[in-house]
Amino acid sequence: MKITLAKPALPSEGAVIVGVLEGRTLTASAADLDARADGALTRAMAASRFEGKKEQTLQILSPHGLEATRVLLVGLGKAADIDALVMQGFGGTVVAQLSGSGETTAAILVDPIEGSPLGAGDMAANVAYGARLRSYRFDKYRTKEKSEDKPSLKKVIVHVAEQAAARRTHEPLEKVAEAITFTRDLVSEPANVIYPESFAAATKTLADLGVEVEVLGEKQMRKLGMGALLGVGQGSDRESQLVVMRWNGTGTKKSQPVAFVGKGVTFDSGGISLKPGPGMEDMKWDMGGAAVVTGLMRALAARKARVNAVGVVGLVENMPSGAAQRPGDIVTSMSGQTIEVLNTDAEGRLVLADALWYTHTQFRPRFMVDLATLTGAILISLGTSHAGLFANDDTLAERLQGAGKAVGEKLWRLPMGEEYDKQLKSDAADMKNIGGREAGSITAAQFLKRFVADTPWAHLDIAGVTWSKKDTAVVPKGSTAFGLRLLDRLIADHYEE
Amino acid sequence: MRIEFASPGAVSSGACVVGVVAGRRLCPTAEELDGREVLTRAMAASPRFTGAEAQTLTVMAPEGLACSRVVLVGLGAVEDMDGRRARTLGGTIAALLSTSGETHADVALDLDDGRTMATGTDLLAELALGLRLRAHRTLSGYRTRHDPDEDTTPTLTTVTIRTDHPEALHLVWQKLAPVAEGVILARELTAEPANHLTPESFITRIRAMSDLGLTLEVLDENALARQGLGLLLAVGQGSRHRPRLAVVRWQGAEDPDEPPVVLIGKGITFDTGGLSLKHGESVHEMKGDMAGAATALGVLRGLAGRGANVNAAAVLPLAENMPDGGATRPGDVVRSYAGLTVEIVDTDAEGRLILADALAYARKTLRPRVMIDLATLTGAIITTLGRHHAGLFSPDDALAARLVALGTEVGERLWRMPLLGPEVDEDMRSDIADLKNASHERLVPDALDAARFLQRFVEPGDDTAGAPTPPWVHLDVAGVTENDEDTPLAPKGPTGFGVLLLDRLIGRYYEGG
Repeated sequence: MKITLAKPALPSEGAVIVGVLEGRTLTASAADLDARADGALTRAMAASRFEGKKEQTLQILSPHGLEATRVLLVGLGKAADIDALVMQGFGGTVVAQLSGSGETTAAILVDPIEGSPLGAGDMAANVAYGARLRSYRFDKYRTKEKSEDKPSLKKVIVHVAEQAAARRTHEPLEKVAEAITFTRDLVSEPANVIYPESFAAATKTLADLGVEVEVLGEKQMRKLGMGALLGVGQGSDRESQLVVMRWNGTGTKKSQPVAFVGKGVTFDSGGISLKPGPGMEDMKWDMGGAAVVTGLMRALAARKARVNAVGVVGLVENMPSGAAQRPGDIVTSMSGQTIEVLNTDAEGRLVLADALWYTHTQFRPRFMVDLATLTGAILISLGTSHAGLFANDDTLAERLQGAGKAVGEKLWRLPMGEEYDKQLKSDAADMKNIGGREAGSITAAQFLKRFVADTPWAHLDIAGVTWSKKDTAVVPKGSTAFGLRLLDRLIADHYEE
Repeated sequence: MRIEFASPGAVSSGACVVGVVAGRRLCPTAEELDGREVLTRAMAASPRFTGAEAQTLTVMAPEGLACSRVVLVGLGAVEDMDGRRARTLGGTIAALLSTSGETHADVALDLDDGRTMATGTDLLAELALGLRLRAHRTLSGYRTRHDPDEDTTPTLTTVTIRTDHPEALHLVWQKLAPVAEGVILARELTAEPANHLTPESFITRIRAMSDLGLTLEVLDENALARQGLGLLLAVGQGSRHRPRLAVVRWQGAEDPDEPPVVLIGKGITFDTGGLSLKHGESVHEMKGDMAGAATALGVLRGLAGRGANVNAAAVLPLAENMPDGGATRPGDVVRSYAGLTVEIVDTDAEGRLILADALAYARKTLRPRVMIDLATLTGAIITTLGRHHAGLFSPDDALAARLVALGTEVGERLWRMPLLGPEVDEDMRSDIADLKNASHERLVPDALDAARFLQRFVEPGDDTAGAPTPPWVHLDVAGVTENDEDTPLAPKGPTGFGVLLLDRLIGRYYEGG
């Protein structure tokens, strides 16, 4: 789908889309269309339940007096509440409505709205961004799809007078959108296609954008003493990898970097603590954290963010086999701490333990944020509405929550403390890798905390939000890339020079 | 166990408890006892005793002293001693001595000695509170044989706390002791087996407290039907022990018309799950599924005992959830007091049902100043927060912040959880009724769903139209009402969680108008 910005014009074909404020107040372009169509818009609204509330829609086919094949009215809610998210939702709603409609072209008319905190240029940029995010489709493996099932919409043109402002805002958003597509593809790919080495190969494409990519294989990791990570991958035929991506956007290597660490279990069968069959296919996206970190590095480089950033992803496949790790095994992590592996299906924290320690010792970053589809417990705690946030640093936690709110990727902070840490006591090693059913996400975070030393650190448990079972305004169901927009925003708001 | 306050004096014949500040510095009374350096030598022989908070070191039959033992208690760093730490010290002393064989203890920690710290009257009262709470042995009446190998019978009968201001301390303690009794009441009720504590006998227990000035109004089955509390009736209809709604009131404010602080407590005297029967090894723990009601009543017990200048009420929906030929079936649709119809798809999600009716009833009939409900509501909150925080849900940021801060202060910690709005109602949408009582999916955030369910009954419904919407807080206490090991303030077993917290909330923000 091609999405472009253009000067105001009345389209001579296809669908034309205009916004309507709550209370059925027409925007300027909508009023103009209504006048040309002898009040057809007003009459259609009067005959329907459309009130102009956010994401409500109303279609008028072959409108009288217009060349367009249809007019689509999209509700914007109250003028004062119109922010970037509302306009992204507008763009997303248009794509959702028209993608399979048979229409090939959509022209969205954006006008300044009195009382909104957003200028028309910013509005248009966000409409285009939302349309792009919603148009994502992972269909490369459909070889026999009927043409009527394929999206018909090929072109979306967002018309606005403030071209310069619109393009200025749109450019970085477009880069972020491309990175989101990259991440969603990685996550959607099945585990026979994306495994540690092929994932690592995908990260190398970032070199074109100026990202330094270094890949560590098992031999190097063994030399570094990464026994926790290696133990997880030892049952698989695929070789484990650790990828280090560096973006030096400040122009000097001296500037202390910010760091992101991602869990990349390319398939999680549970290992010898095998998962039950139903739903196991979902475990192809147990590398969602690593995919977001990689996508984030790509976004930062593509939009030339003025920051030094490091992305580290631990890539393993967790499989049962004659060579696999057994429950009860004790492994020594890179930090020197020993871990009794009581459940081989609590493997994400083992991978992160070494990846975090490596990042901490290698880069001494300003902070580390890790992302991981870590626990089922987080679904029981927060469902799909929020990701879980755990941190040893209040400022970092607050900034993350603020960024999440701004981009619509919400975080909810959960507690940590000594009393929870006790649940990790092992009879035989420094710790065990499970803390019991109670406070399951918290004890997982406590485990990670033992591998960050004094670095300001936050952990995002994204197991509930990485894959969506239903469409939302800007995220079609499937891989969400949750966290990418949030962290990009965090950097833009607080860490760029 | 009796707690007395007396001026510093000669050491008696029992245990003598004295303080050691971090760094092994003896407090003044300890120094006085150390004439022959008995204590100094004992410490020298115990290198791990540093005087850190709540460490203890016992010297039996000390040479040249009248007391039978000296207990050195680590006070930690004394500059920032506060109520919570003082309570913990009291609990530590009780844990050490209450079944030790000693019958009397003298506690002379010098907490109100100018040489050690600035002020102490309140601190010593908190210490007494800790002693009282930790020394109480819940439900001792059912043991009929003495087991010499596991003798948990308390021997300690009196504790004398030494202070320079015994009268002042006595006055403070008089206001605090009833709160301790409230906590103990809540623990006792929670521990009672379900054949001894039914909805009717719960009412009998409340009635026995009338001499404290608490009034009781009871809605029996007929009254519940007349008033339309259909959800409470539906939950209780499978049991021989019929459901009740108890409204307990304390009218302590100068203005009798002052709107009350209303506490709503879940009172499922036993929860089998009903036809959605529970399974597993720990169903017996479901005798404690009325801990919310016990706590609400415990708070009222404390307010009445200390003559609090406030109007308050406890609204207690009491029912037993049993499978039976007459029980509610999954799929039944019931009309609530608020008018909303509920499809009961899971009879084991019963707590939210009885609370929904109780909340709507309280809001309509009592016009509360604030409503706080407490409930052992979901297993999900245990999966989320474990045993160290209760979940707090509220649309009211200021009230939530107050409660969280108070929880930290009294050691009954709360963690705020998201109260999701109408955007999640889809999960609880019924095909035939206004809403259903649980989501069918696996791995759902049931604590969040339950909180949102309750919120729908705090908003005006068609049958409660016109009733105001007071500030509201929901506390999911399922993870914190029982300890599986001893803690400084409670032996293993029920905790009475919430009594101290809510008593302080009322004392600090609602008393005196």
